[in-house]
Amino acid sequence: MNPVQELQAETRRHFFGRCGLGLGSVALASLLDSRRLAAAAQPLDPRATHHVPRARNVIYLFMAGGPSQLELFDYKPRLTALNGQPIPDSYLAGKRFAFMDSSFKNRSTLLGTRRQFRQHGDSGMWVSELMPHTASIVDDVTFIRSCATDVFNHAPAKLFMNTGSAQFGRPSLGSWVTYGIGSEAENLPGFVVLQSGPRGPRGGAVNWGSGFLPSTFQGVPLRSQGEPILNLATPERYGDARQRRVLDAVQDLNLRHLAETGDPEIATRIAAYEMAYRMQTAAPEAMDLGRESDATLRHYGIEKDRPSFARNCLLARRLVERGVRFVQLYHTNWDSHGGPGENLEDDFESVCRQVDQGGAALVKDLKSRGLLDETLVVWGGEFGRTPMGENREKTGRNHHIDAFTVWMAGGGVKAGHIVGETDELGFRSVRERVHVHDLHATLLHLLGLDHERLTFRFQGRDFRLTDVHGDVVKSLLV
Amino acid sequence: MFPVRCALLAATFGWWTVLPASDSLHWAFQPPVRGMPPRVRQAGWVRNPVDAFILHRLEEDSLSPSATANPATLIRRVALDLTGLPPTVEDLEAFLQDPRPDAYERAVDRMLASPHFGERWGRHWLDAARYADSNGYSIDAPRSLWPWRDWVVAALNRDQPYAEFLTDQLAGDLLENATREQQVATGFHRNTQINEEGGIDPEQFRIESVLDRVNTTGTVFLGLTVACAQCHDHKFDPLSQREYFQLYAFFNNQDEPSLEAASPEQFAARDAVGAMTRPLEGRLQARAAELAPGFESWESTLTPATRESLPLEVRNVLGLRPEHRTARQRETALQGYYATDDGYRRLRDQLRDARQSAPVIPTTLVLQERAEPRSSVVFIKGDFTRPGDPVQPGTPAVLPPLTADGDFAPNRLDLARWIADPEHPLTARVLVNRVWQQLFGRGLVETENDFGIQGAPPSHPELLDWLATEFSGTGSAATPTPGSLKRLIRLLVTSATYRQSSDVPDAATAPDPLNRLLGRQSRLRLEGEVIRDVALAASGQLDRRLGGPPVFPPQPDGVMAMGQSRREWKTSEGGDRFRRGLYTFRWRATPHPALTVFDGPDAFSACTRRLKSNTPLQSLTLLNDAAFLELAEGLAERVLREAPEATRLNAAFLWTLGRPPESAETARLQQLLDAERQAGDERMAWITVARVLLNLDETITRE
Repeated sequence: MNPVQELQAETRRHFFGRCGLGLGSVALASLLDSRRLAAAAQPLDPRATHHVPRARNVIYLFMAGGPSQLELFDYKPRLTALNGQPIPDSYLAGKRFAFMDSSFKNRSTLLGTRRQFRQHGDSGMWVSELMPHTASIVDDVTFIRSCATDVFNHAPAKLFMNTGSAQFGRPSLGSWVTYGIGSEAENLPGFVVLQSGPRGPRGGAVNWGSGFLPSTFQGVPLRSQGEPILNLATPERYGDARQRRVLDAVQDLNLRHLAETGDPEIATRIAAYEMAYRMQTAAPEAMDLGRESDATLRHYGIEKDRPSFARNCLLARRLVERGVRFVQLYHTNWDSHGGPGENLEDDFESVCRQVDQGGAALVKDLKSRGLLDETLVVWGGEFGRTPMGENREKTGRNHHIDAFTVWMAGGGVKAGHIVGETDELGFRSVRERVHVHDLHATLLHLLGLDHERLTFRFQGRDFRLTDVHGDVVKSLLV
Repeated sequence: MFPVRCALLAATFGWWTVLPASDSLHWAFQPPVRGMPPRVRQAGWVRNPVDAFILHRLEEDSLSPSATANPATLIRRVALDLTGLPPTVEDLEAFLQDPRPDAYERAVDRMLASPHFGERWGRHWLDAARYADSNGYSIDAPRSLWPWRDWVVAALNRDQPYAEFLTDQLAGDLLENATREQQVATGFHRNTQINEEGGIDPEQFRIESVLDRVNTTGTVFLGLTVACAQCHDHKFDPLSQREYFQLYAFFNNQDEPSLEAASPEQFAARDAVGAMTRPLEGRLQARAAELAPGFESWESTLTPATRESLPLEVRNVLGLRPEHRTARQRETALQGYYATDDGYRRLRDQLRDARQSAPVIPTTLVLQERAEPRSSVVFIKGDFTRPGDPVQPGTPAVLPPLTADGDFAPNRLDLARWIADPEHPLTARVLVNRVWQQLFGRGLVETENDFGIQGAPPSHPELLDWLATEFSGTGSAATPTPGSLKRLIRLLVTSATYRQSSDVPDAATAPDPLNRLLGRQSRLRLEGEVIRDVALAASGQLDRRLGGPPVFPPQPDGVMAMGQSRREWKTSEGGDRFRRGLYTFRWRATPHPALTVFDGPDAFSACTRRLKSNTPLQSLTLLNDAAFLELAEGLAERVLREAPEATRLNAAFLWTLGRPPESAETARLQQLLDAERQAGDERMAWITVARVLLNLDETITRE
């Protein structure tokens, strides 16, 4: 025998040796086991919920950078009256986070908004002039004006808002949801991410990462222009029939190898290949707005061939219609320190224009199609902005973790409702404080999941999205 | 919040991880203690002390290690781990034909001696150093820092002791009589981004890069999240904001020039060309001086026909009135006139040819200490616009003191020597832990970038300390080569622990499903670069040349459009098209998608561990990406060219997976081949088989 033949014999001995018997029965049984494993590795199959769900899908409009609630939704005439005055000491007593240190205090003064606010709808929600479209849907929306988070830098705060932890390595909300209840979409990923604005969100892929959950549950970014996914199409000279034959052989050989090694990652890969193949037809169809009427495009404010948040909103509706469980839209840049490109004057106006119409149109469109009942729309950033001003080149506000506004619509959330209230300066909540963990617990609850029972064992501990915290905000449930 | 976190930590890891913060010093800040390898029951399994520690822990839980992996798996594993390339058929034969009992150790030694070792382990280092070939931020212009990358590969190949390796990189410019190589090494901290946007405050971004250097130094060498202390005292570790800025002060004092980086031969060649061109330049000038006075009469007597024969830009200038010509236009006109002289033209052409023969000397970014130190202050809330108290360079009080010469403030070199000190409690632990992570998939300290109080405690603390002392040479046994990475890697890959099979016994009932106790090896999905390298090697097209400027393998259209400034991607031809993934040009704003999709690092901050995700997008890349299809075609053509007809399936399988197929595998591939032959030509049939092989889970996995 030459060495390679010997190796062949050795490989076979190894295989037999481990099976203990001849190839026949044991290998076959093992192969059958593997088929079961691979079938079980359709991890995105819909799964039973803990209780009757109110929402089936989520569209999360993530306002990356931290929009100023004081320019949009949290109307504070008293703050305007005190414009330019130092913040009273009583607000800073006992505050531990660092940017409230003494030297900052000595220099920082209150900043009243220059924006006009008006009450809208039956709910009487105050909305500023910067969000005229959003103002028109207040009676379908619950505004939570008392949100709070723990961390005040962008990347960790985004991570916190998405994973319930400021540390890397935890699964994101969309991953938890698809892990918990799977997805109705057989031909598309269960968790899809779309992006708009000048750049991707800080932290990038960790925001939709699956952490210690299997990677099948991580968010898949889709491009709103051109080929939705790089390498989606099989080059023509290979043809569809051949592609299927390639895939079948890959799957058979992978299945066999799964039987030999027992590594569940191979089962995940088998599922990934099947999904990839189906996505080749399903994704272009989902991303093609050619069948949408001009009226619809106008409704959203979509300009032909131009990537935008509005386009992503319409795509989100189409993805949800096709069973995608969790669609997350990131829009940058809401950071408003007052420096170039991020002042509260013209830059802020421009970001508002970029998102206002699309977000409101999405809610109306879902409603008119009867989809709003089962689709939860969430709008919000990683934190809010301080009542104190920040003066760089122009005017801005610093990051603020104690009070900011998030709104939700549809999916079992009260229509025309307001949760929470902040003090007269908008510094912190005085009623119904809703921490990120509470927000997460509520979201899961609406989807039929008990945040205390949705766990994953890792490093000897059952992990939860909400860690050891979180209360469902009952007042906003229908 | 703190008590809650403490309770959580305690629940997760036991009280002892929480208590030392108050009662005594956290384990990682204490010097490693070298214990005796423990006694074990299955002593026959132990090949070296590593195994004693591992087996002892397994036996505590009444667990047994796995059987040794089969020889084909083992040799592919170690080849991929040490060189990032699959074993060649020659490697396989040399190993399998070697009857000596230490045949495996000899194979390991061959791989450690391979120049590809430096490429493989250099890439890990590049991840940590946040290496890229562009400046980042929104403009993302290209930069030349690859000579530093080549320095890393060479340093690892010659097994430069770790203390020197890190000292050269942190402070090579400050060494006495620093060599050119030592200056090139300082490129480590030139991997910071450079913001070239209009209207920025350059000082702001200089400071950003200094902060980045502090944070990267903390992560890479000390395994500490020092960045947390930029804006406030560290919430968990004993590191104050003031101490953060004492570290900052070390890095606040250098200029950031470029340096010519070439071999002595290249400089000599350039000097030789200079010796040739200088006399030519003199003669050319002399000839011009002779001709110059005749210019005006030449211009005044130009016929329309002669005028037409002149180059366009000369004609354009001559069309202007002489008093309206700029200096530059006058020079253009003069050059046009001189060129009508045969002698001048001959000299000019000679000079041009000589200059073209000069070697291109690349430059590389380096650090250079300033003569006049900058003063450093604490930035209140980490904000550079809010200077606070002044600080001097210094190291955190919780760690051993830095001793500098005399009365002078310590500088970067002192910091480097402080980190490199074999007695430093963190340096060796952090390094051996990362090496362990590369070879076993998970560090002994799982949080490889956080050895602080929030980090995970080591799964095998005694082993970690034993390895750290073994590596740094502070153990009781005299270490022949302190800081030798190759020696450390050899120790680990020749252990029985490393040689175990990676098969998962039964995922559902396994007592240690995540394999924290190392009762088996782990199957690890390969990195994006290595996935490409494996396909390149299988296709027979791999260009094994080391080093040089980055290259441009094929990538999908539209990738470059994603950045703010549209950059060019001119696909390389010839050998450069088939270089290892290490050499692919790295744009920060628009990274090559086949690297990103397999969890390649973003090069914005230190990456000390790559994720290993498993997604449909990876499947699409391997199935449809033009670069992989090209390699599948290469593999098919190699099969048709090199393998006799009867052995073709065997050969293709062996080249890709480093083992021959089992009979069922042969049967399945033969079935595909038959179907393909009916549908098309022989070449396409083999391309299809090749595509299948390059898509197999086993192909992209180190088993």
